[in-house]
Amino acid sequence: MKVLELKNVHKIYSSTHVEVHAVNGVDLEFESGEFAAIVGPSGSGKTTLLNMIGGLDKPSQGQILIDGTDLSTLKPSKVIDFRMRHIGFIFQSYNLIPVLTASENIEFIMNLQKWPKEKRNNRTMELLKSVGLADRIKSRPAELSGGQQQRIAVARALASKPKFILADEPTANLDSKSTQSLLEIMEKLNRDENITFIFSTHDARVMQKARRVITLEDGKVVSDERRA
Amino acid sequence: MITKTAWKNVWRSKVRSLVVISSVAVGIFAGVFSVAVMEGAMAQRLDDALNDELSHIQIANKNFRANNDLACFMENTDEMKQKIMTLDEVRSVSDRIIVVGMANSATKSSGVQINGINPDEEKHVLELDRKLKPGTGNYLDKSGRSNMAYIGEDLAKELNIIRYSVTKEVIDSLRVRDVPQKVINKLEPSLEVRFKNEKAFNRELKKVISKEEETKYGYIIKEESQTYRENSRMLLTFIDKDNYQTGAVFRIAGLFDIPNKMFESSQVFVLKDDLQRLTGLSDGEEHIITIRLKDVSSTRVVTDKLKEMFPEMEVLNWREIQPDLAMMEELAGIMYGMFMGIILAALAFGIVNTMLMVVLERTKELGMLAAIGMNRKKIFRMIMSESVFLSLVGGVFGMIFSKIVITLTAKHGINFSGYKEGFEAMGYSAHIYPHIGNDFFVIVTFLIIITGILSAIYPALKALKLDPADALRTE
Repeated sequence: MKVLELKNVHKIYSSTHVEVHAVNGVDLEFESGEFAAIVGPSGSGKTTLLNMIGGLDKPSQGQILIDGTDLSTLKPSKVIDFRMRHIGFIFQSYNLIPVLTASENIEFIMNLQKWPKEKRNNRTMELLKSVGLADRIKSRPAELSGGQQQRIAVARALASKPKFILADEPTANLDSKSTQSLLEIMEKLNRDENITFIFSTHDARVMQKARRVITLEDGKVVSDERRA
Repeated sequence: MITKTAWKNVWRSKVRSLVVISSVAVGIFAGVFSVAVMEGAMAQRLDDALNDELSHIQIANKNFRANNDLACFMENTDEMKQKIMTLDEVRSVSDRIIVVGMANSATKSSGVQINGINPDEEKHVLELDRKLKPGTGNYLDKSGRSNMAYIGEDLAKELNIIRYSVTKEVIDSLRVRDVPQKVINKLEPSLEVRFKNEKAFNRELKKVISKEEETKYGYIIKEESQTYRENSRMLLTFIDKDNYQTGAVFRIAGLFDIPNKMFESSQVFVLKDDLQRLTGLSDGEEHIITIRLKDVSSTRVVTDKLKEMFPEMEVLNWREIQPDLAMMEELAGIMYGMFMGIILAALAFGIVNTMLMVVLERTKELGMLAAIGMNRKKIFRMIMSESVFLSLVGGVFGMIFSKIVITLTAKHGINFSGYKEGFEAMGYSAHIYPHIGNDFFVIVTFLIIITGILSAIYPALKALKLDPADALRTE
């Protein structure tokens, strides 16, 4: 089932003297349950593409359809709401709200969507167990390691059962052990929950785990390799 | 969750938040306490005016106040008083004769209003009998001698009836009242010297002690150095019922001391019988009936009833007799609100500055929150809640502290004796008992919340203008 379609997507940044084609005619489709990595050198348009998929930026041209819905046709307030319900985000850093505990961070999205308390608590415990941090419910981000924080971020991204998760360089600040652990958890969740993961990454370990590798260069897709 | 997150965000930077909270607390304390002092002073002024000078309602012949004419009297005032006492709201009533004249001593004279009263009735309507200055004699007594007068201390000073002298007894009294020995030593050269009036004594005092010592201890030295010979005499002269100049020598029964120096220097109280005899007025011919109510809040209602009862007379309540007092009472609330508003406006700038720093520091975090689906309304609410919490916590501490200080100072009052003359020249007591109603705290709480909300608007709008994608890229 197609969860995401990109049709001839362009992003052009115009300044006084020059136009920059950050994304230059990208066509892609993603099925549910995919574990895909978007790779490329710096400036290839990976983050721009991810931002547009996540509704944080609007394409200058082309369409992005999420489950058939064209984000560019929605009002800004509707885009935010759509993002909250259907898209999960994991960032390189500053993923978590520093003043909230691990469980409160995971609950945050569900609170925004006004889930009933019992349902929230159950889902939070379920996710904490699945990322192996059930014993760190009351810990604040400052009390967790980088890897543990990213695992909580994964749990939060999955909280409202989104259609897909966008992860922008999630392992960039982690050591190899934490990276391995995080990838294993994301793989497991990808399989168990059938949620699509789309990474933007330089990390070879992530590329190795990915079952689809899309290479971007100068804003264009130069290769789209699917692996068994 | 937004409110909980906002509360926790306030305590992220404990030192910064505590600085802002402390500044709000100090500002609120300063404002509330100042208002309590002003309110206490005004309440006291009003109390003093009603208890010593006016009472609640006065009835007079319609032409009396305009002309101040002895011939404009009311008749059958005993019957009128009986009728007035049938009203439930009335506590007591008295009447008096009034004539304008001159008070003369051997060396000075002064224009005065001479009030002929029945002291037994008058005690229940005004409290001047309780304002007798110790050591100066007694209040008027019907069974005592005739031609006795009860006058203000200030009038006695004006007529040079009060003299000043530093004696050994005065030195002892000054020591008891904690005047420093070095100041007392400076007074030694003036020992047993008699000064005929306050002006001469002040001149000498300024020569021997410093300005600072005069401000701190001057009023104590003057108070203790006053000498007054009991039963001193003065001549009261005035025009009688038949328009002839008349008068008599009166002995001063005692001196009253109230904060309102203008009243003190212009009012003389004598027995009604004596004044009737001198003016040629008869029993039942009076100029003013004064009425004291059980509760001052019923003033307007009773005034209307009395106007209906005596349509041919002029019935005025204290607000109409002294509209400046009424205006003071009515404008006080507005004045206090403006005063607090100015303080809060100044504090708001500090809060705006802090919240702007908060938004700047958390740019990336705000971008992350927008990215995960926190909409603009919730971001706005979160910033606003943080601002309101900062103001409210500071405000609550400020109000608690001010309530404690007001309660403590209200017990014994605050002594501004160093500025006694200035206060009393305006009719205010120099000993103020701070006072504030609980409804004022409710108003202040409301103002604090408004301040928090308004202070947050600009920083919150700045937060909303952040583009999530750009914010996330911030280092």
